[in-house]
Amino acid sequence: MEIGFLKKIVSSLWEIKGKTKDNLSSLSDEKLIELFTTDGKNEEIFEEIFNRYANRVYGLAYRISHNQIDAEDILQEVFLTLFKKIDTFKGKASFSTWLYKVTMNASYMHYRAKGKKYESEISLENYAPYDENGTLMGRIKSKDWSDRPDEVLFSREALETIERAVNDLPEPYRVVLYLRDVEDKSSDEVANILGISVGTVKSRLHRARLFLRDKLSDYFYEWQG
Amino acid sequence: MNGKGRHMALCKDIVENIMDYIDAELDDKTLEELEKHAKDCPECGAFIRTYKKMLELTGKLRNRSFVTPEIRARLKEFLRSSLNLN
Repeated sequence: MEIGFLKKIVSSLWEIKGKTKDNLSSLSDEKLIELFTTDGKNEEIFEEIFNRYANRVYGLAYRISHNQIDAEDILQEVFLTLFKKIDTFKGKASFSTWLYKVTMNASYMHYRAKGKKYESEISLENYAPYDENGTLMGRIKSKDWSDRPDEVLFSREALETIERAVNDLPEPYRVVLYLRDVEDKSSDEVANILGISVGTVKSRLHRARLFLRDKLSDYFYEWQG
Repeated sequence: MNGKGRHMALCKDIVENIMDYIDAELDDKTLEELEKHAKDCPECGAFIRTYKKMLELTGKLRNRSFVTPEIRARLKEFLRSSLNLN
């Protein structure tokens, strides 16, 4: 990619022509990337990609790093990679899958470069709400919060609680849950992004969800009465 | 149950099959036994209801906005300097 072309894109990232932006926003990811990598390249395309994915890249980086400064560093690395290595996207998987893979790699490299270690790999492998006899007796009904009105269930406080609960998950579980239940990727896509089996994705997702449901039950029971 | 549905379902069976139950991927026999148990078990009824609400709530996290105008501006400057642009 020529420097002159890159200069043109970067210098006009924030100067969007409304009409062109409208046209681009209606394109699929794949069509957008096709335009970006062929002679149809123009300065608005990168802006459109940024608008679609910057928040999601940052969100994944933040869920991995737990740190806003690290997440921003990772965001910058990912978009630099997008500039330099978009040609490595071959369309075998969706663009979003490719970009999430780039984000995962950037996150791990960022950690290595800073000499950081991941948090302890606490396993939720055996996490379950039932007792040794396989019953839930006395464990769930008394904390049933499903009939709370939406203004309580979806309050800012409740959302902050689930955000904290997600952050309390061990990293392997947290990333799977984020990609599946927040980003709405399929189990196959998550497996592809993380380089693990679909079975492992489902197993981690199952325990992560059980953990989150329990955390929310505690929250609604203890703080909402 | 191992997806075979060959014995009376326990709460544990509801919990361990909840993902397939939500995704409607259970075979008819297993589904029938789990639903029979859930209908008669207030604990499992509450578990299923709160599990579904938890999924709804988790999905709301997608709307959270992280990237501020300041982050956007710093990204622009980073790309400019990294690519040796003026």
